[in-house]
Amino acid sequence: MGLILKNVSKNFVGKRAVDNISLTLDKPGVFGLLGTNGAGKTTTIRMLLGIIKKDGGEITWNGKSVERKNVNFGYLPEERGVYPKTKIFDQLMYFAKLKGMNKQEATNAINKWAKELKVEEYLELPAEKLSKGNQQKIQFMTAIIHNPELVVLDEPFSGLDPVNTEILKNIIIDLVSRGKYVIMSAHQMATIEEFCSDILILNRGKTVLQGNLKEIKESYPANRLEIDVNENIDSYIEKFNLEKEIEKNNDYIIKISDEEIAHKLLSELVKDGKIINKFEIKKPTLNDIFIEKVGE
Amino acid sequence: MKDLMTVISFTMKDMVKRKSFIISTLIILVLIVVGFNIPKVLKSFNGDSTQERLLIVDSQQIFDGTLDSLKDMNLGYDIQIENASYEQIKEKIENEEIESAIVIEPQALNVKIRYIVKSATMMKGVPEELMNVMNTMYTNLQISKLGLTQEQLQSITPNFEFSLEQTEEEKVSGNVVAIMLLSLVLFYAIYFCAYQVSSSITTEKTSKIMETLVTSTSPRIIVLGKTIGIGIVGLLQMIVIVGTAIISAKLFLEPEMINSILDMSNITPYLAIVTIAYFILGYLAYALLYALTGSTVSKPEDIQSANTPVAILAVVGFYLSYFTMMNPTSELNVFASMFPISSPFCMPFRIMMGVASVTDVVISIAILIVTILVIAQVAIKIYSNAILNYGTKMSIADVIKIYRDKSN
Repeated sequence: MGLILKNVSKNFVGKRAVDNISLTLDKPGVFGLLGTNGAGKTTTIRMLLGIIKKDGGEITWNGKSVERKNVNFGYLPEERGVYPKTKIFDQLMYFAKLKGMNKQEATNAINKWAKELKVEEYLELPAEKLSKGNQQKIQFMTAIIHNPELVVLDEPFSGLDPVNTEILKNIIIDLVSRGKYVIMSAHQMATIEEFCSDILILNRGKTVLQGNLKEIKESYPANRLEIDVNENIDSYIEKFNLEKEIEKNNDYIIKISDEEIAHKLLSELVKDGKIINKFEIKKPTLNDIFIEKVGE
Repeated sequence: MKDLMTVISFTMKDMVKRKSFIISTLIILVLIVVGFNIPKVLKSFNGDSTQERLLIVDSQQIFDGTLDSLKDMNLGYDIQIENASYEQIKEKIENEEIESAIVIEPQALNVKIRYIVKSATMMKGVPEELMNVMNTMYTNLQISKLGLTQEQLQSITPNFEFSLEQTEEEKVSGNVVAIMLLSLVLFYAIYFCAYQVSSSITTEKTSKIMETLVTSTSPRIIVLGKTIGIGIVGLLQMIVIVGTAIISAKLFLEPEMINSILDMSNITPYLAIVTIAYFILGYLAYALLYALTGSTVSKPEDIQSANTPVAILAVVGFYLSYFTMMNPTSELNVFASMFPISSPFCMPFRIMMGVASVTDVVISIAILIVTILVIAQVAIKIYSNAILNYGTKMSIADVIKIYRDKSN
């Protein structure tokens, strides 16, 4: 059950935009769709929601094809848009009604979300009077106002300041805790790491890495050592033939090929009586994995 | 159905609340009210309401005192008859007691008429009608002095009866001015409302709201809802404008003036219903064509060029009916009343002229409806496939390709 994409493909005039993608979302959570610009994320999302037709494969939600009548979904497109001359309240009401809400339900939902997203004072203004960030929050409201089961967010945080990013993050966490399925595409790897249980990395329409984020990271050997000592240890780094990535006030980040060499360095430093404040062997970040996979 | 109502009501509210719509409607209404008051204003400027005072001096009694009867004739002058010298007349004109005077004096072989005004450059013109009447009065007076019998008198008095008849059998009635006005109003109403559909669709593409919209309801509902919503507002706007015109005409124009423009006996409920039906159908045909062109562009500056083919169709359709109006029984006019791009402008006029049978109207409407269904099908398909095409304007080849591309 849940959302299943099986061998989904899409061609655009002689170009394969999405090539045989498969993914499964079988429990509530946030699924991360990653990729460089033009990798096929938005095309995948558009096929998933039936905005454009797929050329091959199968997409189902609880065993049924993904269409408006079968799935209650909410969508925040990458191309942000609002009616510039129309009052915020009126446009939110319009979309809420199209999603099947009655006037009373819609009014309650608009007021509730406006309060949560801190845009209450803008409801009576035309959209063109709002800042870009606030317009984006209004769009986010149209995506979730009707309490959808499946929420698809294409780059939800791009263009938001840290305060608003935090507000949005909390809402997404809340959605998941209420049993919603969220698919999110993003460029900010830190955000994806924070939220996503499963990820899929696309490169030129093809899947290059897919699976549970924690398992993926565990499968990678440690690649960094973070060490904070009281004095310069450049001579030790040279001795072990290692490479410094960053050094600042005797705080080092050193590239390592495996954990063993880090332990050898540690015992050498201890033996020579160096005072070590911090010693941490680090797994690669999602950013490292992403660059390794797509950044040839 | 519920979605369709939601789209219709949103479109209507959005359009009615727009400042440009409110202001342009108000300007039209003000122009109508002002326009219908122009004859009245002109009249008060010309001082027609107070008749020009004219003094007639016939001190030699050339008219044997018959001039008094002039006072009862509606000649546009407030006529006074008394004896006065030139000096007295001059004084009266300068004191503004009278505006002009006529002095009748005998001469050897004829009668001299002196027309005296304050300034020849400021006068309205020679009182020709009055002169003609006086001429006839003088002739009759002189003839009656010859002692002719009543019969003899009648035989030499010209007595023409003038009548206008036509050889064609059809009963062609109504007034050309009113008919052309109707055709023109229909054309502008249809054209401008339909154009709104195109700009409304492009606005949604420009503001990038399209993607949210197509995941909220189907493209078919959006196209139809928009078209119907704008159509209802357009129809209401037209009713308000025509209504204001009719009320203003009744309030501000003199009845004779209305009758000279409009033969009210031609305005039947049948004509009103058919005209509204043609407005709705004509509007639908053009609005859906505009929906099609509107969805092929995504920048406001491209609307104009994308809409040109539809604008040309509309203008050709309008002129096809306009230029054949003078000859309503011609085959070209019959063709114009059947051809879907021109029938909405042409048929109401043929009905008003009384040259279109009910069968003609039914056939013409049937052709129009079939055309609308075909355009709707193509427009919705193109719209569904072209709405996510951002960027440059699509060429005709692109549009055909998109229409054929079932997998898209």
